[in-house]
Amino acid sequence: MADAREAHGGVGTAAGRGRRLRAGVSSHVRAFVRTPINVVLLIALPIAMVEGYGAAMEAFPSLPFIDTAQMVEMGRLNGAMYTVAFFAGVLGLFQVISALQADERLRICGYSRVELFVSRLVTVVIGSLVITGVSLAVLWWSTPVAAPIAAFGALALAAFIYGLIGMLIGAVLPRALEGSLVLVFLVDADDFFSSGILDLNAAILNVFPLHFPHQLFRDAVFDGTVATADAVGGVAYLLVALAVVSVLYVRLTGDGGVAA
Amino acid sequence: MFVDRADTAESDGRTGSDGGTGGTPVLRASGLAKTYGPQLPIPFTRTVEVLDRADVEIYPGEIVGIVGENGSGKSTLMKILVGALEADAGSVSRETTIGWCPQEPHLYDRLTVRETFRLFGTAYGMDDDEIERVRDEYADRLGFERFLDYRVDHLSGGNRQKVNLSIALMHDPDVLMLDEPYTGFDWETYLAFWELTEELTEAGTAIAIISHFVSERDRFDRILELADGTLSDVTGQDPTERAGNDPRGVGANGGRP
Repeated sequence: MADAREAHGGVGTAAGRGRRLRAGVSSHVRAFVRTPINVVLLIALPIAMVEGYGAAMEAFPSLPFIDTAQMVEMGRLNGAMYTVAFFAGVLGLFQVISALQADERLRICGYSRVELFVSRLVTVVIGSLVITGVSLAVLWWSTPVAAPIAAFGALALAAFIYGLIGMLIGAVLPRALEGSLVLVFLVDADDFFSSGILDLNAAILNVFPLHFPHQLFRDAVFDGTVATADAVGGVAYLLVALAVVSVLYVRLTGDGGVAA
Repeated sequence: MFVDRADTAESDGRTGSDGGTGGTPVLRASGLAKTYGPQLPIPFTRTVEVLDRADVEIYPGEIVGIVGENGSGKSTLMKILVGALEADAGSVSRETTIGWCPQEPHLYDRLTVRETFRLFGTAYGMDDDEIERVRDEYADRLGFERFLDYRVDHLSGGNRQKVNLSIALMHDPDVLMLDEPYTGFDWETYLAFWELTEELTEAGTAIAIISHFVSERDRFDRILELADGTLSDVTGQDPTERAGNDPRGVGANGGRP
């Protein structure tokens, strides 16, 4: 029987790893879609945030330290950025914490920790691409987008980074309420300070997760350009986040995965 | 599916259903220690020593009962034996395939039963035909074939437990570790479960079961009691005099789950 299992993609073969990854991603995506709140958020959050932020900025008083040009459009951009970052972050968080014990059982049955991580990560990437598409469509409906592909890329970059941050929070703080609260405050502050609405020059802003995505997104929507330095910086940020989260996930989700 | 394994058991020199300590253990653990406590010095928390130099060996074809009071560390011991939890000290030697049925079904709530078998079967390295065959076999035997397209979170507790047990059994493991596997079973399923364990042990599978019911003592080749962090063999001792046994198993319900 063992030989037959190896021939059909056993535990140690590349075919077996591919089969396990497909089965894992397929199961996680099914579980995601079958959670009604996810589907509701996927549609309602972009509309509420993009239009809500735009309306809020329109009503904002004119202040000397705020760049008032294109306030409504800037608000909508911030809404779109907030939406993808928050949704992907929550998705990453719940991919880690929603089934820790089932994942641990799956590991005992044959999945490696790396395979579990990759299958969860691919699910986050798929969810991030979907929310990015919906958010950009909602934005485009009311605001001209000069370079749609570049805008999609910038939003997707933000979603991927926050998807990883959500997974990191899930690995370090595996609790739904506390993890969600951390994400809400983090995304809110990051989105506001990185948006460029305030004319800030603090160096610390350069390491905020949404710093590069915001720069790229503004350029893509308003000017139709992509600054190479921002693109390289954003991708480098993503790769560093991926490396850090991979190591921490594999190390931290082991022994604690099954409650004593 | 179990006949093939009987041949293998004999050729490996396994001891058969009479078990005993004459063969080579399929699972061996020695000096296991485990203490639960806070990672940081947090006020009003306490440290609990669960295992203290516990040793255990399980042999092919035997069925071992693990008993002990609530909180004595039985589930912790089983998690360490299967690799779901790290011990603070000691070692576990696992050179065979293991099936683990945890006390709480660690399954994916939003997958259907059919999808659950597909996922865990893939984890075990089984092909699609094999997964389907084993799934249908256990669904028929344990009586959950009507629920194959139900989501796990829509199943009753008993049916969820049947799926939980079947997932542990589906890859035909050499060692089965079952943590109160029949919780919620109806009487017919409970009897079917014990029939199944007899077939498995005859085929050479080693089985360890965490149990609270004294009336089941005759079903075990050996009974290990976990108390004060260590395991001791209490086979043949008067069960009513041992701590941790549930007297409800003696009379009130005849040991029904």
